[in-house]
Amino acid sequence: MARTKGVAKNIVRYLLLIVVCVWTLAPVAWMVSLSFKGPTEWYAPNLMPAQPIVDNYINLFIPTNPIGGSHFFTSITEPITKPLINSLIAAGLGTLFAVLVGFLAAYGVSRYRAGGTFTIFFTLLTRMLPGATFVAPLMVFYSSIRFIDTYVGLILLYTAVTLTYAIWLMKGFIDEIPPEWEEAALLEGASPWTVLRKVTIPLTKGGLAASALFIFILNWSEFLFALVISVTQVTTLPVQISKYVSAVGRMYGTQASLGIIATIPSVALGYLIQKHLVTGFTFGRIR
Amino acid sequence: MSITDRLAQWMGKTESFKKLSTLPLSLVLNFVLIVPFAIMIYLSFTKWEPLAGYDWWRAPIAGIPRFIEAFADARLAWALIRTAIFVAVVLPLEFLLGLGMALLLLGDFRGKKAFTSIILYPMMMPWVVVGLGFYLMFQYFGPVNLLILRPVFGEGGMIDWFTDPVLAFAVIILADVWQWTPLMFLIIYAGLVAVPNRLVEAAEVLGASPSRILRTVRLPLIKPLVVIALIIRGLEAFKVFDIVYIMTGGGPGGNLTEVISLYVYKLAIVYNNTSYACAVSLIIMVAIALITRLAIRPLEVKVE
Amino acid sequence: MPKLVVKNLRKVFGTFEAVKDVSFQVEEKETLCLLGPSGCGKTTTLRIIAGLEVPTSGEVFVDGVLVNDVPPQKRQIGLVFQDYAIFPHLSVFENIAYGLRVRKMPEAQIKTKVHETAALIDVKSILDALGKKLGLSEMQRVAIGRSIALNPKLLLLDEPLSNIDAKARERMRAELGKLQKEIGIATVYVTHDQLEAMTLADRIAVMKNGLIEQIGTTSEIYDNARTLFVANFIGSPSMNLIDCELVYSEERAILKSGDFTLDITEFAETIKGKPKGKELVFGIRPENVSVDIEKTDPTAVEAEVQLVEPLGAKSIYHLKISGVTVLAKGHPMAEVNVGSKVWATFNKDKLHLFDKKTEEAIF
Repeated sequence: MARTKGVAKNIVRYLLLIVVCVWTLAPVAWMVSLSFKGPTEWYAPNLMPAQPIVDNYINLFIPTNPIGGSHFFTSITEPITKPLINSLIAAGLGTLFAVLVGFLAAYGVSRYRAGGTFTIFFTLLTRMLPGATFVAPLMVFYSSIRFIDTYVGLILLYTAVTLTYAIWLMKGFIDEIPPEWEEAALLEGASPWTVLRKVTIPLTKGGLAASALFIFILNWSEFLFALVISVTQVTTLPVQISKYVSAVGRMYGTQASLGIIATIPSVALGYLIQKHLVTGFTFGRIR
Repeated sequence: MSITDRLAQWMGKTESFKKLSTLPLSLVLNFVLIVPFAIMIYLSFTKWEPLAGYDWWRAPIAGIPRFIEAFADARLAWALIRTAIFVAVVLPLEFLLGLGMALLLLGDFRGKKAFTSIILYPMMMPWVVVGLGFYLMFQYFGPVNLLILRPVFGEGGMIDWFTDPVLAFAVIILADVWQWTPLMFLIIYAGLVAVPNRLVEAAEVLGASPSRILRTVRLPLIKPLVVIALIIRGLEAFKVFDIVYIMTGGGPGGNLTEVISLYVYKLAIVYNNTSYACAVSLIIMVAIALITRLAIRPLEVKVE
Repeated sequence: MPKLVVKNLRKVFGTFEAVKDVSFQVEEKETLCLLGPSGCGKTTTLRIIAGLEVPTSGEVFVDGVLVNDVPPQKRQIGLVFQDYAIFPHLSVFENIAYGLRVRKMPEAQIKTKVHETAALIDVKSILDALGKKLGLSEMQRVAIGRSIALNPKLLLLDEPLSNIDAKARERMRAELGKLQKEIGIATVYVTHDQLEAMTLADRIAVMKNGLIEQIGTTSEIYDNARTLFVANFIGSPSMNLIDCELVYSEERAILKSGDFTLDITEFAETIKGKPKGKELVFGIRPENVSVDIEKTDPTAVEAEVQLVEPLGAKSIYHLKISGVTVLAKGHPMAEVNVGSKVWATFNKDKLHLFDKKTEEAIF
């Protein structure tokens, strides 16, 4: 009797899991489907495109190929190669700096109690406040120093915004290393910098990498500040998406393909750090 | 070198190191955050916009009329209310669904890793794309209408989701729930797994059924974790911007689904009402800082 | 009718046979101890009885009823885990009341029962304390109280004293013994500490590698060990076990180990016909070897003291007799030191003889 109960429970479990999977996969499945459909199928309910095309993707890069008429593509005439590269640069460098600065600061806070409670409070605060509340003065400030629509401006902003996460995450990893090993090295005459290089970093490599990937995903997805800072030069992918949606209204296929392209890097990286997610570092390792 | 000499040298180095380690941090933060913050405080006491014709640092101090304006601003109040409703709806939904998912995945079974990977991926998508995805799904000629509503309710059952403020809001809520339930799932699952199996067995031997064990043993033991998760998710939910911008832009009717982030953004960028935007931002910041201060204190004790 | 009958229990985990073939019975009010080293299958057996593991084969009867298919919730068995598994988020009161609430007992009744139990296990003063704030011995008592509040048919205890430090363990052992007498439920007690077993159990089942080596009352186990393993495991310090061979010389039966000889002619009749290879092991407990400065017994042999372990009321003497090391337990003798020559007498009534290969006792 106990055995049949087990089988029934398993069937229910798998059924529910399938429901959850359908729910989870639906939006992306639909976008993938749309991205391979031609305009004639955009308003149709079929999941599998009757005549799959790759034009949607190609048109993102070579928009001189307007689909279905010239009145499309009036406002979006550039290929997405630039936004794509911008996203890579901004996210990449932003992550790099956030990790460097954050690691150093996290180490200082963790081992030497640098910065005091104010640093901690401040870093917490930056995470709590809505980004929008910074937009007004940021615009003023950046236009004064001509940082609007510049790489420097955007990267600096990205670094600052993700610093909190960087410090939070990496401090957790640093805390896990027993300080005794570092103290031993210090007592042998090594400077704190050497200790960092030779002891701490090799030991926290995994955590650092995972944190870096996580922050990259955050920067890659960042929208608000990119929207505010960029005009024409540093448009990132998410901003480009919003421009598409407002400008070309019903061009579902191209919107979908753009969405898919924007998603792939961040989901791919996400899978790499999934193991770490599951061990609970998502919420900053509060324990 | 003697031990004491070495120690002294080490001390010297640690002091400088200590200061140096947080120096880059301070530089960046000061530059990017604190300076604008100062500007914000200053400007909120003036009346200035980019079109005013003179540089902002020459703006005349006008005192507190901006702040008074804020308290009389109905649109601001509505934005706050809407955001509050959003958070109040989204949190319990994400918690319950996350709990359900966690319970579903408890235990060993074939394909668990694969299912977990699938369940987790929404968290990793850019918010904008999530907004886009739901925007596409809920179009009048989109799959929700065509695949679900039309077959069930016929032609008249199809809904124009984004022209009705309540329905549009519902779609926005759905998008957020879709994206962030996996996070709650993750946290709750980690907590449930951490419940020692012995306790579950002890309860079993004492006669408890699985649902009773869930109620009396598992859930109470994950409560602290869940509280933290809800707070973090709540703070992020309050900041929602991307999905609203993409899906409705605040509409229909220009501002019927406007959340607070969107309103402040519009004030600053679209209406160029800079000093007012600064005033509103300042009020919000202060409010959040205060609330957090009050809420964090009892928590700080718990986290210790 | 016995409260618990365990019949031919077998449990396999993957390729590992934790329990090979275990059978025993426990009567009402009796305490049976499953004694053995770690990995012998005693805890697995206990968990099978409780219903937390399903046996690969074999049967478990509680009060005459087959319970193999009955889930642990319904078996009415109390189980105290090795780490007590007290609900940390509940008070002592709620911990004890847990099972009662499951049974939907009315509130007033619960209160009475909890207080009753609390008095029995002496936790009345900490009824409001939270589970996670308790000390180890308090936790143990609450764990026991939690189980007995339900008046179970059977009480199972999994190494309840192994988490407690040595000094407190003596006290807890005494308390536990007292409690057992007061409560009087049929009990199965799992431990690797033979002293615990000897003190608390009515009967002991010595287990090794998933099998019961011997089962009997404490005195049976102590005096009549049937296998080498049991002989070695029980007793502190362990029984002296010396490899030897049986030699017949001039109508005398002699155990020989190197230069050491022990005349066992008086038992010649008993051992005649019993399987006897050349390889035997004879055993005698240290307390059955008496030590004296003078030769008071005609059969005493000369011995050189190698080490003296003073234990207070008694001392343990490591003796070398004709090249063989023998431990003896006797009164402290101030004159005896390392190197002293003393006389050792073997109490032959307490002699054990084992076949080295089969490890079984010959007598």
